[in-house]
Amino acid sequence: MPAPDGGVALVTGGGRGIGKAIAQRLGEDGFTVVTLGRTSGDVQADVGDPASVESAFAQVRERYGPVLVLVNNAGERQDGLAIRMKPDQWESVIDTNLNGAFHCIRRALDDMLSARWGRIVNISSVVAERANPGQANYGAAKAGMLSLTRTIAREMARKGITCNAITPGVIETDMTTDVAEKLLTGVPAGRIGRPEEVAHAVSFLCSDGAEYVNGATLAVDGGLAA
Amino acid sequence: MAIQEADVLDEIRDQLEAIKVPGAREATPDNTWTDLDVDSLDLVELVKALEDRFEITISDDDLKPIESVGDAISLTMRLVEAEGAPA
Repeated sequence: MPAPDGGVALVTGGGRGIGKAIAQRLGEDGFTVVTLGRTSGDVQADVGDPASVESAFAQVRERYGPVLVLVNNAGERQDGLAIRMKPDQWESVIDTNLNGAFHCIRRALDDMLSARWGRIVNISSVVAERANPGQANYGAAKAGMLSLTRTIAREMARKGITCNAITPGVIETDMTTDVAEKLLTGVPAGRIGRPEEVAHAVSFLCSDGAEYVNGATLAVDGGLAA
Repeated sequence: MAIQEADVLDEIRDQLEAIKVPGAREATPDNTWTDLDVDSLDLVELVKALEDRFEITISDDDLKPIESVGDAISLTMRLVEAEGAPA
């Protein structure tokens, strides 16, 4: 079934890096794209705060329409070895990356259920499946997103709603410049990925042709986790 | 004006039809969710529709003992009476 008219594609963290490329690509695909950022974007919210998410979704619905595509891309890193990681470093990263995805999904499902159509794409990470020392918080959050993805997929499959995840590897953004060089040696493709390559995968998962792809994790990592 | 049992039954039938339950239009108060093959997610949608239509709030505790169309009608009418009925 094709996407209903009048729906919005909401991209969290859509102002820069991978999110910006996703927003641009979905716009080219014909979706009305709305970006959500902590301080930038079309609407502002702290995705880790359920009340803030509730208010942002109300604004989106009023100004643009119901959210029928949700890309959970908002993320943050606060790296450090677990033995020295402060509880607030742990909590902040779990809040933004994992709890944020849940709060947004929970709210978006209202609109998607009413429409009997929805596409959710969670931007996880290669570290969800291939641990990286210094990223206990980020890795746990991103791994949690994969389980969240599969659960939502099973719960909503009958309602025309799909939920899939993408695990980007080393992608050229300002969030990875400090680690890209070090990680590059392990990438079989021998190069860093481009944000547009992640956006292309999102575009596929939101397309009519991907209606039967549900609960999947799609690696966009140049073979890093293979 | 108090709502009638038939109003609630109509709303339930409409919602069951929207969620593609076979025989939705013929559903009666005696039908259980098992009879109608209504699962927990269907029930969430039904509850949301009843909350929106009759301006009530149905808590998880209220929902637990609800096993049939008739139970849902009784609960809705009780909550409407308690919370103040829409016209």
